Amino acid sequence: MKFVPTSEATLGPFFPPRYVDERAHDLTTFEGRPAKGEAIEISGRVVQEDGAPLDNLVVEIWQADARGIYRHPADPRHAEADPDFLGWGRAATDKDGRYRFRTVRPGAPEGRAPHINFMVMYSGLMRILKTTLFFADDPVLSLVPRERQDLLRAKGKSPYEFNICLRGENETPFFDD
Amino acid sequence: MAIVIEPRDERTQPARIIAGYPQTPLRTPAQPLIRRAPTLSELTGPADFSGRIGLLGGDVAGRGAKQAIGQLIHLKVRVLDEDGAPVGGAMVEVWHANAAGRYAHPNDDDHAPLDTNFHGAARVLTDAAGLVELRTVKPGAYPVPTKDGWWRPPHIHFSVFGRVWLSRLVTQVYFPGEPLNALDRILNAVPDPSARERLIARLVPPTADLYDALVYEYQIVLRGRNATPGQS
Repeated sequence: MKFVPTSEATLGPFFPPRYVDERAHDLTTFEGRPAKGEAIEISGRVVQEDGAPLDNLVVEIWQADARGIYRHPADPRHAEADPDFLGWGRAATDKDGRYRFRTVRPGAPEGRAPHINFMVMYSGLMRILKTTLFFADDPVLSLVPRERQDLLRAKGKSPYEFNICLRGENETPFFDD
Repeated sequence: MAIVIEPRDERTQPARIIAGYPQTPLRTPAQPLIRRAPTLSELTGPADFSGRIGLLGGDVAGRGAKQAIGQLIHLKVRVLDEDGAPVGGAMVEVWHANAAGRYAHPNDDDHAPLDTNFHGAARVLTDAAGLVELRTVKPGAYPVPTKDGWWRPPHIHFSVFGRVWLSRLVTQVYFPGEPLNALDRILNAVPDPSARERLIARLVPPTADLYDALVYEYQIVLRGRNATPGQS
């Protein structure tokens, strides 16, 4: 028998604030112990087609540690992963549509350039949207049409600005898997 | 354990733009999504939350004088992968409206009354058999602010973390026998009738230890199967 993945649905407008834990947007420490690597800040505004900022939208990130290791058994190097770095974070946007993360600069995983995976969940989004912030040229970035690649590149230095436009002019490229 | 993620049957997933759900055309990307082959980055994920995030327990209903108003329900949810294997240690977040159809959330300004004993949120980890049990009250239906006659049927929101990043799931679970199910714009956005049917929990005969609640069973299937069958 084939088990078919459950259908997705929108997060709706009432995701409990208590699930956006106070420190879930700060990946640089765990139980008071600092993660290894260079602390960086990433923030941005999330807007819809008419440019209106989106409030209480949920953004989650997943990334490798400073040495490019994922804290997950599928990574052959996971036993060496930084024990003080969770790799996952969650933030909600404020009334201005702004989210904010503090994390460490990811290292380069095998075959990839340093990057951070993003997910966006919200009312009116019937499925999770997935995108990626790239710190260098990367095989996955090369799949994005050239004229849109700059929208996914981390520019300058920390604090980085990564705006997410769900639809319309300067629409963020999103991935399907 | 290496996980394989394959494209889903589109008919089992909801339309992204829904007639009569005015936020969907403003927030759904107009450009085609970019297909990529998953790499280690997407085939890993936050699989171990134990001790790293605050859990809330699975009792949403409360007890005694602090019990929420409404029909007590006991929901047994099993989290599986596409092999049908249980996903243990998966973090499951649950939230829903109170018995009157009002969320304990500052953004819900519906007329329905709040219940001071109901916060409507549970956060739990599945056990080794992939099971979570929730004790709560049955949520009420409520009118959507489109004010054109759309009422959401009683439903419970689920956010689930699987073994890898691409297993992440946000969904809603419905109740059997609700006339509003057939009219709901979100539930009916899923084209495949069998997939819609699977979003509805199943009422099962109560057992003696759960005599005071209506017992429902539900199964969640997360994306991903074992790359090397027979091993785990």
